[in-house]
Order: sequence, then C-alpha cells, then structure tokens
Amino acid sequence: MKKFEYLKPHTLDEALILLDQYGGRARLIAGGTDVIVMIKQKEISPDVLISLQEIPDLDRINYNGSLSMGPMVTHRAIEKSEIIRKNFSALTDAVDVLGSVQIRNVATIGGNISTAAPSADTAAPLLALGARVKLKSMKTERTIPIEQFFTGPGETVLQKDDILTEIIIPKPLPNTGSAYWKHQRRGALDLPILGVAVLLSLDKATVTCSDLLCTASPISTVLHSLEGDEVFCKEVRIALGVAAPTPMRAIDAEKLLRSKKISDELLEEVAETAAKEAQPRDSIRGEAWYRRDMIKVLVKRMAMKSIERVLKPEETVFPVRLW
Amino acid sequence: MQDFINIGKRIPKMDAEEKVTGKAVYIPDLKVPGMLYGKILYSPHAHARILRIDTSEAERLPGVRAVLTGYNTPPIKFGFYKDNPPLKANKVRSFRDEVAALAAIDPDIAEEAINLIRVEYEILPAIFDPEEAMKEGAPLIHEEHLGGKEKKPTNVLNLPWRLIAGDVDEARKNSAYVAEDRFKVTWVAHCCLGTSGCVAQFDMKSNLTMYSNTQIPSLAQKDYLDALSAMGLQGKKVRVIKAMIGGGFGSKLDTYAYEYIAILLAHKTRKPVKIIFTREEEFFATSPRQPAIIDIAQGCTKDGKMTFRDIRMTLDNGAYTSWGATTPSVMMMPISSLYKVPNVRYVAKCVYTNNTYSQAMRGYGNPQATFAIDSQIDILAEMAGIDPLDFRLRNANTPGEVTPQNFKINTCGLRECIDVVAQRLDWRQNRGRRDGRGFGMASMIHVGGGARVYKSDGCGTIIKIDDFGTVNVITGATDMGQGAETVIAQIVAEEMGVRVEDVVVTHTDTDICPWDVGAHASRTTFVAGNSARGAAKKVKEQLLEVAAKSLGESPENLDIRDRIVFSKNDPEKKSPLGKILRATHYAAGGKMVMAEYFYDPPNENLDKEFKGNLSVTYAYGTHGVEVEVDKETGQVKILKYIAAHDVGRAINPMLLEGQVYGGATMGIGYALTERLILQNGKVMNPNFLDYKMLTAKDVPNIETIEIETDDPSGPFGAKGIGEPGLVPTAPAIANAIYDAVGVRIKELPITPEKVLAALKEKTNLK
Repeated sequence: MKKFEYLKPHTLDEALILLDQYGGRARLIAGGTDVIVMIKQKEISPDVLISLQEIPDLDRINYNGSLSMGPMVTHRAIEKSEIIRKNFSALTDAVDVLGSVQIRNVATIGGNISTAAPSADTAAPLLALGARVKLKSMKTERTIPIEQFFTGPGETVLQKDDILTEIIIPKPLPNTGSAYWKHQRRGALDLPILGVAVLLSLDKATVTCSDLLCTASPISTVLHSLEGDEVFCKEVRIALGVAAPTPMRAIDAEKLLRSKKISDELLEEVAETAAKEAQPRDSIRGEAWYRRDMIKVLVKRMAMKSIERVLKPEETVFPVRLW
Repeated sequence: MQDFINIGKRIPKMDAEEKVTGKAVYIPDLKVPGMLYGKILYSPHAHARILRIDTSEAERLPGVRAVLTGYNTPPIKFGFYKDNPPLKANKVRSFRDEVAALAAIDPDIAEEAINLIRVEYEILPAIFDPEEAMKEGAPLIHEEHLGGKEKKPTNVLNLPWRLIAGDVDEARKNSAYVAEDRFKVTWVAHCCLGTSGCVAQFDMKSNLTMYSNTQIPSLAQKDYLDALSAMGLQGKKVRVIKAMIGGGFGSKLDTYAYEYIAILLAHKTRKPVKIIFTREEEFFATSPRQPAIIDIAQGCTKDGKMTFRDIRMTLDNGAYTSWGATTPSVMMMPISSLYKVPNVRYVAKCVYTNNTYSQAMRGYGNPQATFAIDSQIDILAEMAGIDPLDFRLRNANTPGEVTPQNFKINTCGLRECIDVVAQRLDWRQNRGRRDGRGFGMASMIHVGGGARVYKSDGCGTIIKIDDFGTVNVITGATDMGQGAETVIAQIVAEEMGVRVEDVVVTHTDTDICPWDVGAHASRTTFVAGNSARGAAKKVKEQLLEVAAKSLGESPENLDIRDRIVFSKNDPEKKSPLGKILRATHYAAGGKMVMAEYFYDPPNENLDKEFKGNLSVTYAYGTHGVEVEVDKETGQVKILKYIAAHDVGRAINPMLLEGQVYGGATMGIGYALTERLILQNGKVMNPNFLDYKMLTAKDVPNIETIEIETDDPSGPFGAKGIGEPGLVPTAPAIANAIYDAVGVRIKELPITPEKVLAALKEKTNLK
C-alpha cells in the first residue's frame, strides 16, 4: 500500500485550513471503510489523509422535530437510535442491512454519501426523507438539498476544499411513514441490486376496518376493507438507488400519488411510473430488466410499508417480507 | 451400541484454540530467514501471441533479485495432461496465464517491479464456448494438440469418458415415460479463507524444502521432483512441510504454476522465496469447480421402475488441464449407481477453451451430475404421476446390490435417509400445494471407503510411545481443517485404551510422515483411520507383551484402559503405561515400543470400461428442504433444511456435523448464489463482495441426521463424510422451488432473475 501522511486536526477550522493547504493532494477520511480500500486497490493515491475523527461534535445526533447529524455519525449509532427508528424509519432500514456490524461500527453516514456510490445505502432514504446537507470550506458555507449533492457515480458537488459538516432532515408532516428496501442477494455484506425508499404522509393516523380481523391483516388488505373510510396522500417522496448513475427521485411517480386517495391500483400505477422514470443498466450485479421489474414491485411494497408504519406503528419496523 | 470411551464423542478439534485465537501458523504467517517475495505477472488477454517481453526496467529496480519469463526457464510441464508450463512462452491462452515472475526483498518492491515489465502481444481470436470450440475451424488453444482417429489438431481432449452398461436404446423403447432435458452448471470457487501460497527453499546441496498447504504431500513431492529433474537437478531430495491449511475443498489436490515459479525463483536467487496470493489472485488464478453442459434422458416403467439413464456431457476444460477434466470418472458414480437403474450410458467430452481451467472441488463432479439426475427424477416422477418420494423409495439402492458399474453395495442406509427426511418435512401433508411454499428432496451416493484412483489407495501410520505414556501417531493423512488429527487421535485412543489428550498426531512433514495418497475422495477418516487403528493394534500387542513380563501375567489376560495396564483376572495386577515404558527403555537389552502399519483398502481400479468396485463401501444420503419463493421478485428463502446421511458410524459427531453443515452451506451457495462470472474469459467478480458466498445471515438452520449402518470395513464402522454434504443440495432446492411455484430451473445458480423469468414465461404460456 502506498505511504501517506496521516493528519488529525482537532477543530473543524483546522481541518478546513489543512484541506485548503493540501488541496488535491489530500483526502478526508472518516471511518475509512471506503478510503482505505480505494487506496489499497489503487483507485486513489492521496499523499495526505486528513482524519475527522478527533474533531468534537461531528458525531452528534440532534433531534428537535427535525434531525441533525454530523458527518461522523456511524451507521451503528443510527441503527441504535430509537428516535430515528421511530421518526425516520427508512434510514434505519438502510443501516440495518449495510455491510456488517463490524463495518457499521466504524463507517459513517458522511462517508457513505460523500463516496457517492450509486449503491450507497443511505442515499435513497435521505432523498426520500428530504434531507439537506451543509458544505463548508474556508471561504463559503452552503446548505443544499441532497438531490443536488450527487452529480455522477462517485461524484458530488463537494469541492477540493469542502467538508460536509451536517446532514439535516426536516421535521416530517404528521402521519408520516417511511421505508427502505435493499434488494440484495445475501443477508449481509452485499451491495443492493436495487434500493427503494418511500416516504408517505397521510391525512390521518387511524382507519376503521370493516371487520375485526382487519387489524391483523397486511396493509393491502386493510386498504381494501376500509369502512367508508378513505386515506389520502398528502406528501410523497420516492427515491431509488442503483436505478440511474446517481441516486434519484421518481418525480413523475410522486406527482401521480400526491394529494390522491390511496388505493391498491393507484400504487401499482405509481410503481409502474417509477420504473419508467428509472434508467437502470446491466452489470454483473444485476440486469436492467430485473432492476426495472423490481422497481415496480418494491415501490409498491415500500409505499405499503410506509402506510403500515402510520396506521400500525406498533408493528415491527423492519420490512422483513411483504408477500 | 458398543461401550466406547473415545468413539462417538463430541470432542472439539485439537487445534481449535490455536485457530480461534489466531495463534495457528498458516502460510501467510510463515517467515524463513533471508526470504524473498515473489510476484507473478498475468496475461491481460484471453488468447494472444507474446511478441516481446522487456524485463530490463524491473531488473534495474533496487531490491529486485531475479526476473523470470517463459524464455529463460527450463521446460517444466505440469498438470495431469502435462500441458501447462509455469511460465508461458510464445502464447497466452487465458487471463490467468503467467507471463513473468520476479523475486524482491519486500512485497511492495515486488509489486512495483511487476508493473515495470513490458509485454507486447498480438491478440488472437479466442473461444469461450465449449460447443463452439468443438467445431471445425474454431481457434485452436494448443495448436500442437492432436486428437481423434486422424490425429488432427483439435480442442477436444483425448479423454474418451465412456461408461456403458446394458442396452440403453432398447430400454428406452420399452420405457413408459422418458424425460429429456439439458442442465447447465457453471464455475464456483472453493473460497478457502486462507489464500494459496508457499515458500520454496534450497539447501546448499540443491535439495528442496517446500512449505506448502497441499492436500497431497506425497504426490506433490513427486511433482516437485519432476520439476527438479526438468531443471537439471536429478537425484535431489524434496521435503514438503505443511503449514496449517486455511481450507482445501479439493483446490489443493493439484500443484499450481505459482509453486513451480517459487521453486524457479528460489533456485535462481539461492534464497527462500515466498509467494502468497491476494484474494483477487485466489479467485482468478486458482482452479474452480468444473462447469458442464449436461444432456440427460431417463426413463421408467408405468409403475415407476427406472429403466435407463443416458447422459452426454460437454465439459469446458479451460486452457489447461487439471483434475477438472477427470471429474467424469466420479460423475459415473451417481450416473451408474444413484438409485437402481439397469441400463446406463454416459459419454463426456472435455474441450479446450480460453477460459480458466478447473480442478477438483468437494464432490469432484458428483454435485454436477447429481443436480441433473435428481432434478430429473422429479420431472420423471411427475410424468409417471408418482409422488417423487415414492419414486425414490421404489428405486432406492439396497445392501447387497451390484450396480451397473460393478459397485458392490455393502451397507446402505439410503431408504432410511429418504424416510427420515420425508418424516421431518411431513412430506405427504405438505407437498404439492404450489402456494409459494415448496418441498423438495434429493439423494446422493459417494465413495465411503476411499477410492482406488491411483494404483494405491493406501496410507501409512507409525506409532511410538514415549517414557511418559504419550502416544505419538505419525500419519500420512492431511488435516486441512476437517479434523483428521482429532479423529485419528480418537481412533488410536480407543484402540489402545488411552485418552485422546494422551495422543499427539504428527502429519505435517514428508521427511517424517509415512506415505499417503492424499486428502481426497472423503477417504481420510476411513483409510487413515483404519491405518491408525492397525498400527495401534500392533503397538498395543507389543505393550502387553512387555507389560506381561513386569506384571507376571500372560499378555492375553492383560488390557489397557485409561492409561493403566491391568490384568483381567486380578485387578491388583496393574501398572501405569509410563512406568512400563520406562522399565522397557531403561532395562539392559531394552527395546522401543513402536509399530508401523500400512492400510490399503480392497478397492478396485476402474477397468478399461470404467467399471470396478472403486470403494469397499459407499456413503448414501438424502437432503430435504422447504423453501418459500417470492413470486414477484423470484427470491428463494430456505425455511427448513434436513440433511440425512448414512455415515457408517460417527467417530466424532461434532466434527461430522461440521462437515455436513459446511457441505450443505457450500451446496446452498452452489444452488442459489455462487458463481464465478466469466466474461470473455475474464473473471469479473474476484472478490467476496461480488462472489456471493453465503454469510452467517444466509445459512439456514441445517438439521443433520446420522444413520449409523456400522460398516464392517470402516474404522469402528465409519464411512467418509467429507464431500457428501453438498452433493444433493442443489437438486433438493431446485425440486422444492418447483413444488413451490411450478417452475423448473435447470441452470445453476438459481438466481432470482432466473426464477422470475421462468415465472413470467409460465404466465405468458397460459
């Protein structure tokens, strides 16, 4: 492995100065689960690594309705956060299946999105949750929606002297549920064939069922047997990973559902539309036709799961299986 | 049940603590003073002419000690077809072809230097499909290779695998039902957690010591000696020292180019040279399981009695030849002898392509053949309108049977295995609902008492006892993680009346250990076990003789239990083993208490028609599985997994279960997720991220059932169990998927894409 200098600034300002000083010769390192691998595989060869490990507070999670996370928050910390599990479930779904426990213990959310792999597990949930990211350099500081953050596979708007300093998830509307599904070949240590995240805000939190059994039924059954009750979608965001060169929103699909009465048929149509919007490709990890097909299946399932999380919040949060 | 002290006990592996604490010394841990590090340059093309190699820049790099190419090394050829030189000259035939190699004082310099070697190529047309490669005018992989009656250049190897018994054509005419299908199986990797490597070292007299992780020390010794001869070093000695082996599974049943390269570099530099594979090299430069295209037909009578089995196979040999090309010899076993089938025809062709070449892998062709056979059994049973469970029972092998390949079936627990699997799955209740949940089973036969592949199927053991009663067992067997050491210790302890912890097993050094043909064919417990038992009997006789004198008792009246020699008549007459040994060693005219024993089972070589009783006993088994198939995504989830095996006797149930768990886990990977993806000859997924070996989260609970048939020829009744665990896994799963959703997948691995595509096709047809 190529030798490099390893610097450990103790303040953010110090880190920004170092980054400014070394420019393209330096690379930020957080958990190191991507950067070190890339160095070993000779994909990058920085002279200097600037670690964010020693800077205080970058690993904080703050919640006051909206959520703020420093870039050094580990996936394991997210996984264990009850607040996130309850209010931003899609993110928990993603970190639950990212790498392995050992990786989640060191890998960070800032690193996951900065590496900007099309398959990054946290990207689609953050898109669905409407996250914004704060970028800081010596000269500037700006906050942008995460949609604008990714520019290509492995590429972001981050400039050489930028540090991603905060990820902010706005307070969801009342009666909101979200879910993410990593479609993978293995139960762990895998990249998604496809990642699907959905966020849905409903006009109500409870429904009346036509029969008692209904409460124990899958949500699709529940939707069918509502007694004169109707559920409307107030807000929806659908995000896809590995469906295009960057993590993407399925805008047309969202439009189709927003402000509409939710039905099985409509969700099917929404999922079809999302599949049309996507531009999946063939690779050794999955074929385009299959990815497109899975968008149809999984967008609907994740929408159902999101509804379930509003209407049946006591149910298990992790979307184990839905058929 | 006999009253055993050490047999049938769940004793953890003797090296378990060392391994789990990271103290065990594997090849990567090994350092020899003055050692250099070797590195290999591989071909960037599947098929190309080498026009020029310029190594001058690499040679000039400080720290580089030697650079070798196919143009400045002696003409060594290795592999069973002797078509593979360690370093290629003139032409490369696959991406794994070794073009140059060097040794440097540290791994970083070696790596830097290897990138300084410049090679010019002229790219040649390449061929990756064995069926295309057979056609007239296809690019020739080895232009000098002649074959057929006319001795013309051809890609088809001169290995006419052909087994014929009875009259298949006649039987086919008389069959009420005939199923005909094409199955395909692809490359999978052994995924040894320890990557391959060795250290080669010459002494001042040019004798070679190889630190190796081979499964075949005695045969590797011969391979290295041949290489030394080719290097002009006739009459020199070779010593093979085995480090801890980080997994074998057949991958170390042949020698590889890197070993000869290490030898050549060590000879050139007069320094020890170590080569260790990266994980990427492990994936693309070692040899995977043999892929095959399998055309199979089977027939049965109206009431489900099997009438014939007719199989034609094309094997993608890759660019060179290792044991993969000989897997048809083992495929013949299930083809001729899994279930009773009177008429059998099997023809297989091995064809050169520009792909990677294959090797032995756990089951040695058996899983490939069994996937086709036992998948099709379900197809045939359905045609005949018979429950596949009844179909299997109706055709199950039985003790005393002589199969079409002249296997003499001794003990046979197949029927019991099928029954118990059906019972555990509640088969009659559950099967046939097509509701997304499905049940499937498949069976297997494998050699259970070694296999006479070479002229000898033997193994030697030496036992000596020291002054303190410690029993030193020096065996030819190889422990590659399967626990041979522990099982041998248990067998010796049982025979001699000592405790397992009194036994020390040495198995790592050809200068010390007796000869053995290698760790293959699930033979170690059986052959090395019988050998160890034989030596233990002899040494016990000697012990009782010396003890008889000091105790004033006749040897027949003496026995040993728990390290004490005692008289069966007079319990007062007893003495600890150590005391008797010391008295023997320290007496005037004293003697050593030691014995050797060579056991070679009464197995037969296959004759010219590939018939003969290959093994003195056979291992049978049946796996049953319940799956759930997601009809929208094509994903398959295993809900229940039952593995029933006729094991003869479980010497150590814990290790035996470990073998079955490991086998079934590999088998589930083979069935559902694993494949080496080759695109135009290049391995596209040489890492554990993209090669989908199962993780702890994916492995279902595997329930093992041991059927003990107490084989009269086995050590304390045991049969081999190393390979059987993965043999019937893939067809059992494929059958369960069919039962769940009604689609038959005939190509491994059964990915969600294949299941979904098949489901769609089925819906469209409706």
